[in-house]
Amino acid sequence: MRHSVLILDDDTDFNNLLTDIFEQADYIVTSLEDPFKAIEAIADTEIDLVVTDHKMPEMSGVEFIAQVKKRQPKVPVIMVSGFLENDTIRDLINRGIGGVFLKPLNIFSLLERTAELIEESKRVDPDSQDSVEHSEEEELNENISAELGVPFHSFPCKSKASAHFAEKLYNLRNFNSNLSLIGEPGTHFSEICEDIRTFYANEKEQFIYLGIVSFNADQVLSMLVEAEQPGVERVTCVLLDVELMTNEQKALAIALSKSEGVFESVGVSVRTIFCVSGDLDVLYDLDQIDEDLYILMGTAEVIVPPLRECRSDITVMAQQLLAKLMNEKGLSSDRRFDAAARDFLSQYHWDQNFAQLKETVRRVLELSSEHVISLVAVSSALQSTIAATPRARVEAHLSSARNDYLRATAILLDSENSKVASFYGTEERLIESALK
Amino acid sequence: MQQHRALILRSNRFLGSSLVNQGLLSDSDLEVANEKFMEAIQSPERLKNASVLSILSHDLGQLDEARLLEHLVDEYSIGLIDLNYVELRLLPNTELDLSLCLATSTLPFDEVDGTYLVASCYYMSAPVVKHWEDLLGGKVIWYGTSIISMSRALERMQDLTTASEEE
Repeated sequence: MRHSVLILDDDTDFNNLLTDIFEQADYIVTSLEDPFKAIEAIADTEIDLVVTDHKMPEMSGVEFIAQVKKRQPKVPVIMVSGFLENDTIRDLINRGIGGVFLKPLNIFSLLERTAELIEESKRVDPDSQDSVEHSEEEELNENISAELGVPFHSFPCKSKASAHFAEKLYNLRNFNSNLSLIGEPGTHFSEICEDIRTFYANEKEQFIYLGIVSFNADQVLSMLVEAEQPGVERVTCVLLDVELMTNEQKALAIALSKSEGVFESVGVSVRTIFCVSGDLDVLYDLDQIDEDLYILMGTAEVIVPPLRECRSDITVMAQQLLAKLMNEKGLSSDRRFDAAARDFLSQYHWDQNFAQLKETVRRVLELSSEHVISLVAVSSALQSTIAATPRARVEAHLSSARNDYLRATAILLDSENSKVASFYGTEERLIESALK
Repeated sequence: MQQHRALILRSNRFLGSSLVNQGLLSDSDLEVANEKFMEAIQSPERLKNASVLSILSHDLGQLDEARLLEHLVDEYSIGLIDLNYVELRLLPNTELDLSLCLATSTLPFDEVDGTYLVASCYYMSAPVVKHWEDLLGGKVIWYGTSIISMSRALERMQDLTTASEEE
């Protein structure tokens, strides 16, 4: 059965975009730019869900929702907006809004949430679906773990990108001498390498972790000697922040990987895992990775998916972080995020990936004592992490402004990334990545 | 050839990774090939012939080129061509840079109504495909070819270019 969606947005281009998205997903769309006409339509037509903008000249989104709820109290509403103040978000929650989506829009999350809300609104027992979803998620996770033969903790593997990543990593577990993990800033490389460690069930494998502070020949040799316990057949050295290493450290990393130079006499087999934040080609172009390292790191490389490509994992990761932090503080770990907070967590863009998610959850615990953590608490915590440093503030502002310009240009140039790339004199893949 | 150094590195790196990712090569064989490749690019005389593909199939014998060509047909649905049977010519409207062809083991061998027919030994290397498609305005029909066929075709193209310059 096809469901009907009413879209209200005074921005014609964005309204058209939303209309296209919902029509292509097989919804019957009523698309309006005037809130008064939308109110009339809701009174006269059977609507299954309403999608509205917040900032409109004649009526705010909050006022519009109040009118919707007067006429059709059970119809779910989703708000799509560029920015929302905490007070507005609080007000929206009080009014029973089903989802808040900030631009840039994640189409899949929007459609996923739309389907969920419509299904929930049609259901008699509101709790039954939760248990079904839970069991489906558990089944997915169990499938991945069963396929790998070991548990995988760094990603819950509920999304295709993370499941594919886990499988690829597992298939490469017997890499010969070096493996490269390439991720975006804030990627949790140490946790991922801990998962690699669990691929080996025996005591013959030892892992040592080397950051840029501790990475010098003496330190590595001393750690290798310490790791050479009876029965240990191989040591895997995890090199973190390779892109930040000095040239001497990079040369040392190559020597370690090839067991050359000062490492020639090491009595145990050594492998290396290079962990790099950033695009390797860009780092090479910027001379931050030299030719030797660039080629060496191409032998066996795995791209770590950014959180924005693993939407279904984010809320689980946040809940796991919450439980872990509560446990560390010796508190009971039965706190959880409410539905609106979970929506927000899963659709936020997380430019700084896991590090940002972790910091946000930490701040939530500091700032809120709610048993059920609300969207307001999450949003406040996130804002406080973004506002933590002037540099972070400037970076967040510039990143947001850049994306706004790119989206506007894309609309003007028929949504063709090649034209946008040509307009800005840059590569198409960079445009694709920014608009994703 | 130095002007294509970054492209040579990038295209060979991607080719090696693709071969491993698609199960045509083991990472340990690639590691050995990469070491030999790095030795080659350090030498100005050997740079123009530095190729992971050539090292793997000819020097080390670790890659079955026939299997690679079959893989191109099966997985990428591109055609194969033996350039020995193609009457090569200098294509109009292109200032064909033979050093670029050599650096990427790729040759545009014909043009029909603005669409270029391009043969390559490096089709599995995304930077090579992107570089040529950008250069030729995106209208490209790709063909896979063997190293020996490419190498002979490039020699013939060099002869054609020299003859044309002498005229």
